[in-house]
Amino acid sequence: MARRTIGTPATRVADDVIPDSAEGVAERVRDARGSRTSLRIVAAGQWLDAGRPCRAANELSLAALRGVTEYERGDFTITVRAATPLAEIDAVTAREGQWLALQPFGSADGTIGATIATASWGPLASAYGTPRDQLLGCEVVTGVGEIVHAGGRVVKNVAGFDLTRLMTGAWGTLGAITEVTMRLRARPEVDRTLAVVAEGGAEAFCSAAWQWLRASPLTPLAAELCSATLASRLGLERGALLLVRLGGNEAFVRAAEQSVASLGTTVEVDADVWARLRTLEPIGSTVIRLGALPSELGAVWSGASSVVERAGGWTHGTLERGVVRCVVPAGDGAEEHERIRGIIEQLHAPGSRVVERVPAPLWDSIAAPAGDRLSSAVRRTFDPDGVLNPGIMAPPLS
Amino acid sequence: MTARPVPALGGSHDEGLARALAAIVGQRRVLERAGELRAYESDGLPGYQKRPSLAVFPGTREETIAVVRLLAERNVRFVPRGAGTGLSGGALADDVVLLGLHRLTRIISIDGDNARAVVEPGVVNATLSRAAAPYGLQYAPDPSSQTACTIGGNVAENAGGPHCLKYGVTLNHVLAVTAILPSGEIVELGNAAGEAEGYDLLGAFIGSEGCFGIALDVTVRLVRTPQAVHTLLADFSSVNAAAEAVSAIIASGIVPAALEMMDAATIQAVEASIYAAGYPTDAAAILLIEIDGAAAGLGEDAARVARFCTEAGARAVRAATDPADRARLWQGRKKAFGAMGRLAPHLVIQDAVVPRTRLPQVLAEIASIGRKHGVQVCNVFHAGDGNLHPNLPYDASDPEQSEHVHHAMKEIMEACIAAGGTITGEHGIGLDKIPYMDRLFSDETLAAMCALRSVFDPDQRSNPGKVVPIHSCREWHGAPSARQRPAWPTT
Repeated sequence: MARRTIGTPATRVADDVIPDSAEGVAERVRDARGSRTSLRIVAAGQWLDAGRPCRAANELSLAALRGVTEYERGDFTITVRAATPLAEIDAVTAREGQWLALQPFGSADGTIGATIATASWGPLASAYGTPRDQLLGCEVVTGVGEIVHAGGRVVKNVAGFDLTRLMTGAWGTLGAITEVTMRLRARPEVDRTLAVVAEGGAEAFCSAAWQWLRASPLTPLAAELCSATLASRLGLERGALLLVRLGGNEAFVRAAEQSVASLGTTVEVDADVWARLRTLEPIGSTVIRLGALPSELGAVWSGASSVVERAGGWTHGTLERGVVRCVVPAGDGAEEHERIRGIIEQLHAPGSRVVERVPAPLWDSIAAPAGDRLSSAVRRTFDPDGVLNPGIMAPPLS
Repeated sequence: MTARPVPALGGSHDEGLARALAAIVGQRRVLERAGELRAYESDGLPGYQKRPSLAVFPGTREETIAVVRLLAERNVRFVPRGAGTGLSGGALADDVVLLGLHRLTRIISIDGDNARAVVEPGVVNATLSRAAAPYGLQYAPDPSSQTACTIGGNVAENAGGPHCLKYGVTLNHVLAVTAILPSGEIVELGNAAGEAEGYDLLGAFIGSEGCFGIALDVTVRLVRTPQAVHTLLADFSSVNAAAEAVSAIIASGIVPAALEMMDAATIQAVEASIYAAGYPTDAAAILLIEIDGAAAGLGEDAARVARFCTEAGARAVRAATDPADRARLWQGRKKAFGAMGRLAPHLVIQDAVVPRTRLPQVLAEIASIGRKHGVQVCNVFHAGDGNLHPNLPYDASDPEQSEHVHHAMKEIMEACIAAGGTITGEHGIGLDKIPYMDRLFSDETLAAMCALRSVFDPDQRSNPGKVVPIHSCREWHGAPSARQRPAWPTT
């Protein structure tokens, strides 16, 4: 199910045409700066329902910046304009036996620009890392309306200070991303998924799974814990489980399957389970991510699962990254928001708590500060007048 | 040191500062005399010599903090330095204070359960891997200088190494850093135990070449020691054939742990040295290929890699027979720069990256540039990620030779930029590559880099004059600068 905009966005598209070049975007930003207004950056519009209190007067649509600029197949790199949907990149690269190994949660209609801007990731981060590990370079229009080219198009590069990493996860507040160059990978020769039934309690199972993952040389592409409700929503009616995605040549995958079986009863699952996992959550769901050292994740997962499942939601956890994602489908109204607030207040973790999506009225009281003095100085440097996405990041970067 | 040394460096030498620093770190850890400072006039890149005004070597975190804060109070410029193995002149201090961090060698903790370690900046790269070995773990980035270079220096340079092809560079292995900014403020970057929210300031700090501050401790991710390793040596009668084998291996989707190329000049230098590895001296090029990971399926991948080499025209492909044989094959590669010392008194070690599909074309261009200027080029590089190291042995005391080398270098850099590449893949910009920054980046991009530096170090006191050309540091929000872009040097 694709996320789409709910309700009417508070912003309006400015009168002129949607820019179809970085220069056009730069002009729009300079105009906004000159007239002391602000812009909300939008491409596919899939983050508009994330509850973030962006208070921009106008919309800066990047929707016209779409398509592949350059695909260097032999070098496993692709340069694409920001509003290119992930599905389009997937289709283009699949023809060459390659892929952009990101597959973040959310619809494949989401754009690469938003994926980088929000640093979104999915189960494949277990093997391939997050957007910061796969982004080679980008073109951005800063808050002063200048076009900056960060990084490059080659797979290794330490020329100059790293503006590329800075733009990743900055939610557009340092610059509107107009084009990116990504590293690609070969699609695995064999790609098989197993579900391991969690036996002996969530915490103990998680701990055993992490021990296996840490010590086994048979590194999977993904190893994602799924709570019982999630398993059932995915059509795997077996209680809590671990989904393991194995990729490599036939001999590797066969050996890995045997090794995974040491964790418990395994069932082979169709690979489209990953696509379903990405897009399962209904529009308007609240999503909170809890972080811990992998060895402590069992306790976090177990605690969070009992809270969230009682409230009609579910959890899943990326062991390697030490992150549990808590999903609670939510409705509207003050009472419902109070219920959600109550759930969130029970979600704790020793390492981190990231608010991904909440009903808008809860945002201010729930989001933790997103930066420090240094971050505020970075924001003021790249967008001194707060033209781009004001309010989209928690204070003091709002 | 009983008597006060005679100031040797004129105006910039500040006896009061030296005394204040000595009060923090002890008299023995502050060097002031020209003779004592001579060892710190160069780093790993020959051809540049800059003398620090004085050098100070704190031994603990507390001393480091006190030194940085004293320098801040007195508005003194300084250059942080690890082991001084860098290859871009980045650790050279030109009449400013040199702040050496190599005494901060404590491995604070190794968490085997979570595969991570916390170390002080002066811990030597290879020492960390040795300490992690009992847990079945290792620190993946492995620059050729790994037996000497420090983790702090690796963070400053975003260091790579042969095995970064599969495992990634320093950026991909650092989870958190506690840094002291040049102002003396201490900041936590990244998150050692969860997700980091907000801007990726850790990502910005890594590779900032000592311009953003000093790492007081670094939390790194460790990786499993591979269960099995296959090391192959393929020999070719043409560089082009070797380059084609590289393309075929990369295109197959097999990601070797390392995929290194050496040309005839390098092979001969290595084989004539004490690092002789048994490379075929009549080969035009060799590939040293390592694939590692789980034992299951690895043999099949190794066989496919060998087949790609043969299909591309390899005369022979042999596998290392045992760990000693493997170590010998690698020693030749890792000590190749040292072996080139036999060829001439000086060596320019270059570093550039091109798309892997352009390797045959760019290598041919480099050979022709060498011929045109009558200079020898020894290529030894990370072919798997297109990271070239064309090295030029020469005699710096011969002005004519130096001139030829100088021109050849510029043309090689130009060729790499023209091929869609970049001017450094792992050695950094430092001092050496500043003249090329204008060629690679627009005024706006360079100004943005300057602006970012100013956030971390508003007075630009830390590693002054490095990385970004000073003329690029115009007022970020003002009108476009009227600065003159320096003319690109022509031959």
